[in-house]
Amino acid sequence: MKRSLVLAVLVMTAFVTSQAGTISGKVSGVAGESVVYVDTIQGKTFPAPTAQPVIDQKGLMFQPHIAVVQQGTTVEFLNSDSVAHNVFWISVGGNKKLGHNLGTWPKGEKRPFKFDNPGAVPLLCNVHPEMSGYVVVSPTPYFATSDKSGEYKIENVPDGSYTVVAWHEGAKNQSKPVTVAGDSKADFTLSK
Amino acid sequence: MDAQRRVSLLLTFILMVLLLTGSSYAIPAFSRQYGTSCATCHIDFPKLNDFGKAFKDAGFKFPKDDETFIKIPPVMLGAPAQAEMWPHTIFPGTIPGLPPIGLRFNQFFQVVSNNRNNFNAQPLTMGGVNPYIPRTDFEPGFFSIFTAGNFGSNIGFWVDDDISVSGANANGSLGDAYLRFEDLSRFLKMPADSLTMKIGQFELDLPFTQARAYDISPYDIYSQANIGAVNPAYPQQFVNNNFSLAGPGRGVEISGGHHYGGYHYSIAIVDQNTSGTSPTNYPNIPSATGGSTDGVGYFSDSSFKDLYGRLAYRFNLERDPESRHSIQAAGATGPRDHTYLTLGTYYLYGRSVQTAAGFLANGTTPADLVVHEPFYRLGGDFDFNYRKFNVYGLYMDGHDNDVLPFTPAGVAGPTGLIAGRPATFSGGFIQSDYMVYPWLMTIMRWDRVGSTADFLNGIGASASAPPPGNYFSPFSSVRNRFTPGAQFLIRANIKASFEYQIRPKQVVYVPGTTTQLISPFRTNTATAGLEFVY
Repeated sequence: MKRSLVLAVLVMTAFVTSQAGTISGKVSGVAGESVVYVDTIQGKTFPAPTAQPVIDQKGLMFQPHIAVVQQGTTVEFLNSDSVAHNVFWISVGGNKKLGHNLGTWPKGEKRPFKFDNPGAVPLLCNVHPEMSGYVVVSPTPYFATSDKSGEYKIENVPDGSYTVVAWHEGAKNQSKPVTVAGDSKADFTLSK
Repeated sequence: MDAQRRVSLLLTFILMVLLLTGSSYAIPAFSRQYGTSCATCHIDFPKLNDFGKAFKDAGFKFPKDDETFIKIPPVMLGAPAQAEMWPHTIFPGTIPGLPPIGLRFNQFFQVVSNNRNNFNAQPLTMGGVNPYIPRTDFEPGFFSIFTAGNFGSNIGFWVDDDISVSGANANGSLGDAYLRFEDLSRFLKMPADSLTMKIGQFELDLPFTQARAYDISPYDIYSQANIGAVNPAYPQQFVNNNFSLAGPGRGVEISGGHHYGGYHYSIAIVDQNTSGTSPTNYPNIPSATGGSTDGVGYFSDSSFKDLYGRLAYRFNLERDPESRHSIQAAGATGPRDHTYLTLGTYYLYGRSVQTAAGFLANGTTPADLVVHEPFYRLGGDFDFNYRKFNVYGLYMDGHDNDVLPFTPAGVAGPTGLIAGRPATFSGGFIQSDYMVYPWLMTIMRWDRVGSTADFLNGIGASASAPPPGNYFSPFSSVRNRFTPGAQFLIRANIKASFEYQIRPKQVVYVPGTTTQLISPFRTNTATAGLEFVY
C-alpha cells in the first residue's frame, strides 16, 4: 500500500513537471543585464518565499546592483561600509505613494523590508547620491535575469497564457503576451 | 595726498577685492579616485559637511578602511613587507593610480550702483583724467589647478595654484602647498589623531577658511591690515604692517583633534613679512635653491617667526551617544551633519618691522633706525548648526605697537624712535546659511571692521570732525557691510552664485574743512558668479 502511494506521487510529479515549460529569448536595444518576469496571473497567488536575500552596501555601491525577488519577499539591507549609509526609494513600480526611507544603521548590521508591491524599486542613498541599485519585485515566482548579452531563460513556467514583462535600468518596460506550451520564445527590444 | 594717489588707492582696493574674490576649491580628483559625488564631502562646494571634515582631518582619505573605497588602485612604491626591512630599504609608499588633478574656472558679472562715479567727480590736483567705473562688467576669474591626496603611510599632500587670474596668463600665484604627516601621535603613544604636522605654505588654521570660502566676496576682517595709523600728537603714520590673516603662512604647523567633534588645536610657526615685500634675492648671499643671485629668495623680512595658535571644541548635541560620537549623526531618514556648537579662540603674535632713515645719536652719522614692535591678532568664534541651518561668526581684535621717529632740535632727521599710540582694529562677521534645497543655499552676512588705522577709513572720520586730508571715508571709522546672497548647484560640480554687497555711505571732504567735496555715495555691488570644477 505504502509503495503504491509513493509510486502514485512520483507519477503525478512527473506529469506536472511535463506540463511546465520555459520562456527564453533575448532582450536587445540595451546593454547589460535585464530582468524578465511573468506579470500578475489573475486569480492566482503565490506563497511568499522564506529566503531573505541580502543587498549589501559596500565600497559606496549597492551589491548586487540589481536584485529580483518575488512579491512578498523580505530583503535584508546590510551596511558593510565603515561610513554611514541609508537606503530609500521614492517609488515602487512608479507609484510614488510607496516611497520609503529605511533610515541609518551602523556597519555590520542589517535592516529588513518586505516588498509587498510589484514593480521596480530604485534604491538610493541620501549621502552618496551616486549610489544606485534596484530591487525588481516580480508578482510571480517566474522571473530571470539576462546575461550581459541579453539572453534569458525562465524555467518551470506552467503551460498557459501570460503577460511577460522585460525591465532594464533606465529603459521603458515592455510587455508581451506569451503562450507557454513547453519551450516558448519571447524577444524584447527596449529603448531608453 | 594728491588725487592721483587717491585714485590709485581706490583702484588698488577694487583690485584686491577682485583678486580675493571666490578663492574656493572642491576636489574632483577625489570624486574620480573614490567614484563618489562631490556631495559626499560637500554641502555646497567647497563648504564641507561633517564627512568632508573627517576626510580632511584624516589626510585626504576615508577615516576608516580607506583602501576598500578606492576605485582606482594606487601604485605601490614598494611592497608593504618592505617596511620590515627598514632602515635597510626605502620605506614603502603609494601614489594615486591616476594623477589626482582637479581644475576649476570661475567668472563673474558685476553691477555697481548708480553713484559709483561720484568719487571721481573730485578734481585731480595733478591733472589727468579720472578713471571711469562701469555700471556693468563681465570679469573672468580664476583658472586654477589643484592636486591633493595621500601617499600612503599617512602622508597627505595638497597643492593649488592659480594658472591665470582675471583673464591674464601666468599671473596667478601658489595657494596652499604642503605635506601633512598624519597622526604622528601613534609613534609617541599619544591618543590617536592628537598630533599631525604640516610643512609648507598653507592658510593658517583660521576658524573659517578664507582660501576655500564659498562666498563670492572675502571676509573683510581677514583682509584687515594695520596700515597708516596717525598719532595726533605726532601727525605721522608709521605702523605699516601688511600682515593679514587672509594671506598664506610659510612654515610648520602641528595640530590635533577633529573638526567633526571634540577638541581641535593647532600651533603654527610661520615666516614673518610685515613689510609686504616680495621674495628677495641678495647679491652675495645664496638662497635655498640657487647661488648668490638666483633661487627662490627670502620670504621673511625678519628673523622672528610669527606664532599662531588655535583651540576649539565642538559639542555635538545629539542625545544618543553613539550618534553623537560618529562622524555623521544618524538621522531618521539617513545620515546628516550633527547639530553642534563649536566654540573657539585663536591668537597670533608677531613683531612688525618698523624702520626709518635717520642718524645715530650724534645726529650726524646716517643710520637705519629699526625696531621690531609686537603685534597680535586675538579673537573668538562660534559655529552652530541645526539641520539645514548654520550660523557662525568671528570676532577679532588687532593690536600693533607703534613707534614714531624722534627728531631732536637741531638735527636734520630722527635719531631714535619713541612709543606712539598703538594702532588697533576690531570687528568680525556673522554669517548664516540655510539650505532651502540640497542645491540651493541662501546666505546672509554682516561684516564689520572698526579701525584706527584703516586704510580706507582714515581716522575716525565724521561729518562734524573730518580728518585732515582724508579722502575716502564713511561717516565713521567703522565699516559695515551686509551681504545677502544665494548659491545654486546646477550640477554637483557647477555652481551659480549671487550676492549683493550693501556698503556704507561714503563721503569726501575738502581737506581740512567740513565741506563735502562731492555728494555722499555708496558703492553697492551686485555680483553673480559661475564656476565649475572637473
